[in-house]
Amino acid sequence: MSKTIKYHVRNPDIVFREEFDDWAILFDPDTGNVFGLNPTGALAWKMLDGTTSVKEIAEAMMRLFSNVPEEAPAEIMQFIDELVERGYVGQDVTTP
Amino acid sequence: MSEKIYCGRGTAARGDPVSTDSETRRYPLYQLYFYLTDECNLACRHCWIAPKYQNATKATSFLPIDLFVSIIREAQPLGLMTVKLTGGEPLLHPQFAEMVDIVKREGLKLVLETNGTLMASEIAEAIASCKNTFVSVSLDGTDATTHEWVRGVPGSYDTACAGVRHLADAGLRPQVIMTVMRRNRDQIGEMVRLAEWLGAGSVKFNLLQPTSRGKQMHHSGEALEIRELIALGQWVERDLAPTTTLNLIYDHPPAFRPLSRMFGDHGDGCSVCGIFSILGVLSDGSYALCGIGESLSEMIFGHARTDRLVDIWEHTPMLGEIRGGLPEKLEGVCGRCLMKGRCLGSCLAQNYYRSGDLWEPYWFCEEAERAGIFPETRKVGRGAGAEEHLGTLVSEPPS
Repeated sequence: MSKTIKYHVRNPDIVFREEFDDWAILFDPDTGNVFGLNPTGALAWKMLDGTTSVKEIAEAMMRLFSNVPEEAPAEIMQFIDELVERGYVGQDVTTP
Repeated sequence: MSEKIYCGRGTAARGDPVSTDSETRRYPLYQLYFYLTDECNLACRHCWIAPKYQNATKATSFLPIDLFVSIIREAQPLGLMTVKLTGGEPLLHPQFAEMVDIVKREGLKLVLETNGTLMASEIAEAIASCKNTFVSVSLDGTDATTHEWVRGVPGSYDTACAGVRHLADAGLRPQVIMTVMRRNRDQIGEMVRLAEWLGAGSVKFNLLQPTSRGKQMHHSGEALEIRELIALGQWVERDLAPTTTLNLIYDHPPAFRPLSRMFGDHGDGCSVCGIFSILGVLSDGSYALCGIGESLSEMIFGHARTDRLVDIWEHTPMLGEIRGGLPEKLEGVCGRCLMKGRCLGSCLAQNYYRSGDLWEPYWFCEEAERAGIFPETRKVGRGAGAEEHLGTLVSEPPS
């Protein structure tokens, strides 16, 4: 039985703080770990709402940022994978 | 506590200890700060070390060269990679050129802090021939009147500018360091232009530390107020920096720096004290935390004539306390700062000087907190508001 990851959702315990230059900070109050996000990372974080796909995030980036590279979807996925690994993001997994 | 900054396509992690030995972390001694002499040919009114003024080209009190060599020999197995020559004015050391040769021969990186006034073309070329040399020269005004008001010696402006030129002509891109105070605050923009013209590679704007002579300047109102310092830092990083190809560094703590300036495509990292991997050597051969040992005897850990460096490095109680306590033991606003794992309290020597307590907060951050202008986004806070937990925009740092 295979599992399909449909959407990703932010861990509500992680504190997100956006700053004046569109960079942002993720802070895990339990561990004290701090992540700085660049503007594209911050946008991706805000779209991890459990209903938006990676493809849709990449499309939003294409609209909002200039010179977005072709490999953007892969980079977004890599970014999300790292957040998942750290427990900052959860996965909505369905079983077909 | 660990910490990491995600930079989109890359990461930058703090300089954690490189290895684990049984249950004990081992700390490499990457860098020695040699305070070559306790004398200086300038009499700067803000100096945090306050060396003796010596109107001469050679010091009368200085680190013996045999100790310089033996200390380097002892430090190499501990991880030594970089030697910083500072002072007092390091070029006053009568055997300065030999010391540069030794650093070069040993393949060590050379860092030099100088007032530039004694820099000649020959020694600049010797310095430039060392591995990955980095030189900083102090300039505290863009005209002789201002610079010499700070530095206390007529003629020092022209000789300092010539020193920067000699270094640039030797192929280096020296850093110009300007300590910001009320008297020169209006010359910051001009200083960047002057540094460009002299062939510098970067300009660093230092805070006037409330230590030694600088303490008196804080008391007399010659230092800038915290609101002025923060506003100036924002102006330098957001408005002035884009006007030049030089790297501009405003030396306020990371909590006050935009992430983009530290970790963006053209970011300059996050310059902090490498306290875990540095040891100071005073001009009399004493080992100390850093130059603060000139002012505080309890910051002196032993002497190169009588103590083995490995014993000093591995068994000095205060070093052990620092290694075990940073950053978790930091108190006040520094203890609540999200950047503390990177900033490490900014300067423990300064903090200790002020209070006699290693874990006291850095004066700049403490004053900002007291004034209500410490960036809220950089402070720890679990339950500051539901909106934080929803991952929505919280606030901009106070301007």
